[in-house]
Amino acid sequence: MRRVHDLLRHPRAARVLSWVGFVASWQLVVPLLPTELVPTPSEVAVFMWNELRMETVAPHTVYESFSLSFQRLGVGLFLAFAIGVPLGLLMGLRRRAEWFLHDFVVVGLAMPSLVWALVTGMWFGFGDLAPVMTVTLAAVTFVVINVAEGVRNVPKDLLDMSGAYGVSRYATIRHVIFPSLMPFFFAALRYGLANAWKGLVLAEVWASTEGAGWVIKFWYDAHRSQGIVGYALFFIIVAIFIERIVFGRLSGWVFRWRPSDSRQAPEPTVADPDKSAPAAVPGRQ
Amino acid sequence: MATIKVTDLRKEFVTDTSTVVAIEDISFEVGGHEFVSVVGPSGCGKSTLLNILSGIESPSRGTVDITEGDRKAKLGYVFQSARLLPWRSVLDNLLFVQPTSGPQARERCARYLDMVQLGHTAKQYPGQLSGGMQQRVGIARAFSIEPDLLLMDEPFSHLDAITARTLRRELHTLWQETGKTVLFVTHDVSEAVELSTRILMLAKGGRLVTDMPVELPFPRDPASDEVALARADLLRRFESLDLLAA
Repeated sequence: MRRVHDLLRHPRAARVLSWVGFVASWQLVVPLLPTELVPTPSEVAVFMWNELRMETVAPHTVYESFSLSFQRLGVGLFLAFAIGVPLGLLMGLRRRAEWFLHDFVVVGLAMPSLVWALVTGMWFGFGDLAPVMTVTLAAVTFVVINVAEGVRNVPKDLLDMSGAYGVSRYATIRHVIFPSLMPFFFAALRYGLANAWKGLVLAEVWASTEGAGWVIKFWYDAHRSQGIVGYALFFIIVAIFIERIVFGRLSGWVFRWRPSDSRQAPEPTVADPDKSAPAAVPGRQ
Repeated sequence: MATIKVTDLRKEFVTDTSTVVAIEDISFEVGGHEFVSVVGPSGCGKSTLLNILSGIESPSRGTVDITEGDRKAKLGYVFQSARLLPWRSVLDNLLFVQPTSGPQARERCARYLDMVQLGHTAKQYPGQLSGGMQQRVGIARAFSIEPDLLLMDEPFSHLDAITARTLRRELHTLWQETGKTVLFVTHDVSEAVELSTRILMLAKGGRLVTDMPVELPFPRDPASDEVALARADLLRRFESLDLLAA
């Protein structure tokens, strides 16, 4: 008993035990429910294992579905950065541009991804365009606001140093301005991705015949709840992989100059452009 | 040898409600192998003067000519804080300000890092160095471009007394070895007396009130009677002008 008590004082052991307890409770409680539409964890696990082995009745495998969704996500995010970075630079550098764009950015931040998914589905119909545009629209304001904030936060003392030594404009942009924007690019990518990812799934549910979102709808129509829960877990696993592995390693490399205990890109604290609202909240639905 | 010629220089900062005069119509010349300190109380326009000389700020009126022979002089600047790029290594910080790249620039930067005894830190990032070491990198950076004129804005004010004293000695050695013209801003009268060949004193409002030579032999021991007398003389001037109270 004492050993169990000691074990629970360890944070990692406590977390593992909480998950084990949750899954065990789930497995025990579900058979008692008066419905067959709630799957047990073992049913979900079997479903996911079969999907990974490409033994599925769905028209597309999990690999094909996620591959297509990633392509749409990539193109949409590329467009969001291609549009958002110049607009963010403009807002950060020119006060008139900020006045002009301010309200649109606030509207964009407040707009649920669901709305973008619905309207792009209506405008562009079934196909790739609606999911791609949903990703772009869901992410672009996060890019604009973070880049604008980054430009405003370029250290003036370093710019003055650069100017005092007569360093060229190109070298100043490359070695002073761009590196100081990196934490804000990361914030834009992280929040934009979180919001865009949810928007993409919704757009694929409404306006696509392929992709991971559409497969969730396929299992919904088939009344196979383990399919919905299984795909939700696939989404969570992918999100954790991107956050921990991709962002973790990338920020560790980009911010390698920081002391080792603070190499992660800083949590974005970018507020509403008028600085009167709390931090922009990712993933609004 | 670099020459500075400042004529009727004035700097005003205009706000919504008022106009603040930071520098009021000052004129002076500096030339040759001089180490000139600019002293005065906080807010008397010392840093503004250096910012104008370096081109970071422009004057409201008057002219500044900084020449080396018949060409524009090359300036090095040591700031109050080191102002190093935290994402570049120590050596890369020096390379960043070099007018030309290549092995010669790299060799020169390494040589000046050695001169401030930081050759072994070339590949480290500034965040891995202490405040005193960062300031030495800042000094090496200024010397590494081999400037005609060195501007220094209270470079030791943020350091502990022992580190500041060590760096003052290193700076004096570098100045004697390289023969540069130095304009050194400080609010520390003792520091000015220890290092300078000449002292300019600014009063509140940016008025130039004293321009005095310091005719003591180097090296100067801060604890010696001569230095103490010169320091006392300067402090008396401060008090007679009511500068400390201002």
